[in-house]
Amino acid sequence: MSSDSAALRHHAFVYDADEEYAARSVAFLREGLEAGEGGVVAHNRQGLAIMREALGPDADRVTLVDVGSTYTRPARALAAYYGTFLGELQKAPSVRAVADFQMGPAPGEWDEWVGYEAITNLAYDHLPVWVVCTYNANALPDRVLDGMWSTHAEVLGEGGRWVGSDHFEDPRGLLRRLMPEPEQLDELRSCAVADDLEAFRERLARELVAEAVPEAKALDMLVAGTEVAANALRHGGGIEEVRVGRAHGRFVCEVIDGGGGFDDPLAGYLAPREGTGTGLWVARQLAWSVESFHTQRGFTVRIWL
Amino acid sequence: MATEGGDQAACRELVEWFLPAIGAVARRFGAGGRVQRGDLMQEGVAGLLFAAKRYDPRMETPFWGYASFWVRKAMQELVAEMTRPVALSDHAVKGLASVRAVRRRHLQAHGAEPTTAQLAAATGLNRAQLDSLLAVDRTARSLEEPLVADEGTTATFGDTVADPDAEREYEQVLDRMEIQTVRHLADALDKRERLILWRHYGLGRPPQTLSTIGSDLGLTAERIRQIEKDALQKLREAAAQPPTTTGRRVT
Repeated sequence: MSSDSAALRHHAFVYDADEEYAARSVAFLREGLEAGEGGVVAHNRQGLAIMREALGPDADRVTLVDVGSTYTRPARALAAYYGTFLGELQKAPSVRAVADFQMGPAPGEWDEWVGYEAITNLAYDHLPVWVVCTYNANALPDRVLDGMWSTHAEVLGEGGRWVGSDHFEDPRGLLRRLMPEPEQLDELRSCAVADDLEAFRERLARELVAEAVPEAKALDMLVAGTEVAANALRHGGGIEEVRVGRAHGRFVCEVIDGGGGFDDPLAGYLAPREGTGTGLWVARQLAWSVESFHTQRGFTVRIWL
Repeated sequence: MATEGGDQAACRELVEWFLPAIGAVARRFGAGGRVQRGDLMQEGVAGLLFAAKRYDPRMETPFWGYASFWVRKAMQELVAEMTRPVALSDHAVKGLASVRAVRRRHLQAHGAEPTTAQLAAATGLNRAQLDSLLAVDRTARSLEEPLVADEGTTATFGDTVADPDAEREYEQVLDRMEIQTVRHLADALDKRERLILWRHYGLGRPPQTLSTIGSDLGLTAERIRQIEKDALQKLREAAAQPPTTTGRRVT
């Protein structure tokens, strides 16, 4: 299990027992520590306690990150890991991380988190980080365990060797396959717009106030909406229509432009770096979710607050 | 479930029914620190309603078995956020030390907590500064603290705390699920920038034009527009910045 890569490596293994998880993780991390690499363990409190004991004195050389509250939505989890890796890379030239796969119990979200693993392959692929995701066979549904083979190029096999996954899928292709069709939201109302960001914000603010959105959340939407509207002005030839309202209890804002739009399911998920835009990244960080799709009205970016 | 369709009566009934169970979960988080029981209860109610929207009876999982995960998760997020290390400026540290000294002297002299007005008069701080410092310094009374010192009692301070906030505000709690992020955003602004944004976009008050705000502040409308532009840029940068995990690190 040696590391000589300057870019992201995203591997995985499945474990049946805590002892197996700890033994494999410790061996992986210790090899990195001996080579001068940084080390990260991301798990819930219980998992961290297991690793702290298994690492012994080496636990002080590894950053233990409690992810109990990180996995609320993929964009937030990606940003949290990105921040952790940037911090570690200030102390070491490269980093090894063992991250336990976490998710909520709702089956409707399983695909979203499998998609998150696919995104991870590219989200910070410019960083010298070797991430090994660990999957608890006794706690995770088969659908998620199957997803592991589709989202990790290499998986730990017999004898502690990394073996290529025959089922690995191109992340973008997998995301397109898993993404649900955007819902038709007839309850949204159209509002007058101008090709001016300040006028857009003023109108959006009025709608947010009318829907009794709390001030702090309204500020979120103003910033996220500004990013999306700015993209429509810059790349979409101008704003054709703005639709707002409540759906499923959430405030929703759609910005529709007449341009060709984009067809990249990873848009806004790639950590900001030189040469990439940050607009959709910002929107995804602030919103509950962001969808993009084509309709007869035009290219639509839908922000769920 | 009736709550799926946003039936307010059903939501109210659900919350009332499960408040004791949410309170029991909150007590596990309540051992001191900066997190108040009312805040924990609100987050717990948010978790409950979130679960109610997603609960699928076909899973054959008892509702509370499912919902308790989300209640706990919502509280964990709040605790993780609120107990993160707070970085204070030198000025704030001095202010806090001053507040603590005045409070200690007052307690010794009068045997009672000083009022905010007394603290303000003795420290020279205004109300907003005081509130801000006290919020940082606040340590909740342990909810596990026995109500009476007698042996054999099981009642705790937490059992006596009413939760009117949780009952009153649950209609908007779903919006609060990720409000922690927003707190970071607003923190990026200084007082004047906040004032301008809040006034211009009518947050918590009727919206005002840049000219009106400018004349109130003794500045031109153009200058207000520039300040707002800079403020929006600050918010953008704050949102783009990956969150630090310092507060969640276990060392």
